[in-house]
Amino acid sequence: MLSNNTSALGIIFPNTYDSIIPELTNVRLMASIPFASRYRMIDFMLSSMASSDVNNISLLVNKNYLSLMDHLGSGREWDLVRKNGGLHLFPPNVERTSTVYTGRVSAIAGILDFLRGQKEKYVVMADSNIAVNFDFKALIQAHIESGADVTAVYNEQEIPEGYLRMRNEQGFYYCYGVDDGRVKRIHVNSKEPGIQNLSMNIFAVERELLIKLINDAFVCGLRYWERDVLLNQLDTLDIQAYKYDGYVARITGVKDYFDENMKLLDDANLDALFSGNSIYTKIRDDNPTRYVAGAKAVNTMAADGCVIEGEVENSVLFRGVKVGKGAKVKNCILMQDTVIEAGANVENLITDKEVRVTEGKEVKGTDIYPVYIAKRHTV
Amino acid sequence: MAKEIVAMLLAGGQGSRLYALTQNLAKPAVPFGGKYRIIDFPLSNCVNSGIDTVGILTQYQPLVLNEYIGNGQPWDLDRLNGGVHVLPPYQKATGSDWFKGTANAIYQHISFIDRYDPEYVIILSGDQICKQDYSEFLAFHKAKGADFSVAVMEVPWDEASRFGLMVTDANSKITEFQEKPKNPKSNLASMGNYIFKWDILRQYLIEDEADPESENDFGKNIIPNLLKDGRDMYAFRFDGYWKDVGTIPSLWEANMEVLDPEHSGIDLFDENWKIYSRNSGMTGHKIGANAFVENSMITDGCRVNGDVKNSILFAGVKVEPGAVVEEAVVMGGTTIKAGAVVKHCIVAENVIIGEYAVVGAMPEGDAAGVATVGPGVVIGDHAKIGPNAMIRNNVEGGEVVC
Repeated sequence: MLSNNTSALGIIFPNTYDSIIPELTNVRLMASIPFASRYRMIDFMLSSMASSDVNNISLLVNKNYLSLMDHLGSGREWDLVRKNGGLHLFPPNVERTSTVYTGRVSAIAGILDFLRGQKEKYVVMADSNIAVNFDFKALIQAHIESGADVTAVYNEQEIPEGYLRMRNEQGFYYCYGVDDGRVKRIHVNSKEPGIQNLSMNIFAVERELLIKLINDAFVCGLRYWERDVLLNQLDTLDIQAYKYDGYVARITGVKDYFDENMKLLDDANLDALFSGNSIYTKIRDDNPTRYVAGAKAVNTMAADGCVIEGEVENSVLFRGVKVGKGAKVKNCILMQDTVIEAGANVENLITDKEVRVTEGKEVKGTDIYPVYIAKRHTV
Repeated sequence: MAKEIVAMLLAGGQGSRLYALTQNLAKPAVPFGGKYRIIDFPLSNCVNSGIDTVGILTQYQPLVLNEYIGNGQPWDLDRLNGGVHVLPPYQKATGSDWFKGTANAIYQHISFIDRYDPEYVIILSGDQICKQDYSEFLAFHKAKGADFSVAVMEVPWDEASRFGLMVTDANSKITEFQEKPKNPKSNLASMGNYIFKWDILRQYLIEDEADPESENDFGKNIIPNLLKDGRDMYAFRFDGYWKDVGTIPSLWEANMEVLDPEHSGIDLFDENWKIYSRNSGMTGHKIGANAFVENSMITDGCRVNGDVKNSILFAGVKVEPGAVVEEAVVMGGTTIKAGAVVKHCIVAENVIIGEYAVVGAMPEGDAAGVATVGPGVVIGDHAKIGPNAMIRNNVEGGEVVC
């Protein structure tokens, strides 16, 4: 595979936008936030890349990455245990930067030696706050055919609430001004209403060019790939815009984390996200989910390993959730191994892993502000 | 490197009494319990009991089984030293033979076992549902200093004559072996799982092979020969869940018992004795807004929009609105279309059951039985499949098959 001129290696940034969803990233990073009943956010990019023949993938982690290491293991579940390539987890290169990196420029600068030694002609880069079943093959093909220096992926949508609330020190999001397929303008943290060309922070670029761009930017003390590298060279670099029309679930805060999970209760959305290539995740070897006599489930998505004895409505249940006799669960996202004991009544709730709501307790949020219960807490 | 014990799993059975399900599939590869195959049970038992070297003897329709086992990773049996090996009959310098009997299958792979120079060999049957700790069985075997031990279950006396029975003394030593006798002297039935000292078994296999009269079978030849020679033979009592799923009714019944772990004793939820399987990789299942689900097991990839009661749905099963599924075992990838009724039956993988078709349905009185629909079959709209029917070919719309 490596001998041809279309091969690409992948770089994923697992920590991007951590700070805009502090509740869920307290004990983990963006990439390991649980999503859609049995996945972690990283599963979507990893599986998308792996099924697009991108088999040499580097994860440039920053902090809080123990949960991600546990999730990924050797990368077997994504078929990324390879003699050539496979999965690489790069912790911050402290020797060189003396602090953990703050943007893509210093992150990639830390692995320039590694990049120089690789054989793939192209690089694809992505964040992990987007759940998407993305065809990287098509992106690389388009990048090669257009002869662009950089190809930037966007989708058409309104700027999500979470981004609008984001303060500049928390990070950046970008909208493109596109003219004849080329990115002519990059708007940073725009508050513009209506449909925008919202960057998905997915790029294709030739490896040699990436090394040069990052090296030049790093010696000048620049930090951010889009804000400092691309935006400053809009005239000199040919940056092609690549519109993605598929299903995109973007996590930009707790509220839309809740909403994006709930949207998957609509079969059309579920099919749109999962009808492409398989999305792989860590295997837990749970038994099938058991609905006991007297249980009631309506409009609910559940992973394996659950035992449902009570009533569940409009909810997303992760692996190993228990709902006791007479308990009522409505509009909830219950992460792995949550226990709702008998007679408890919960509504508009997000429970983190291993939360326990004890017998007969009532916990309710509202649909505009779901209540979040932190990992291993007992109510 | 030497191993203390090597497991040999007999998985060559055709499973002729399951024939609609085993047309293209060895019996141990038959799906079971929502996300497993029968062979997951002995394989997981091995791993959970600390046995890391397993030979699987295949012969009949091995393709699905070979693909399923792969390198053994789902059972943690991808090992540098040992691990799982699929062992088909093979051609030797002196000719090639299909396995003639259970003992001959092991005989043909003596050199496989010799490579690990084990002290003991455990012979396991690949067609039963059972969670057994083989390390307890081995500890018993060692404590007795036995040449041969067999795992036995106490069965009701009135059923005893259907089994191979071990007559024992107070010390569990076997004094007599009765194969399906008219007048049983014991109610200790062999489960078909044996532990041998390897040097003893090796010697008896070679002698048995040299005997032209022998059927090369453990039950008919090897065990009687050991008894005749006065070897130290013991019966190890097992009192957990055990079921031979060699027939359609017993396979259906065992699946139904999975739904009632509190009474049946087969608990798939035991964190300390997990049953491992190859994963479907599908997303979580989805229960629709107008669905009704009661006392059922449902796994990844299912979409339920009809009524499902007392049933087991395997990965990716679709139940359309208005369809009724009761007391049914529905295997992976099957679609049950709107208004269809599927009751008291086993539906194999990738079947399409047409709109308003009726499959199974338990009638009153004597005609009761489990209907079976084989893999890939298409049942036309408004067709009717009676109880006890075995369907292997497509059924036209409106057709009635009893």
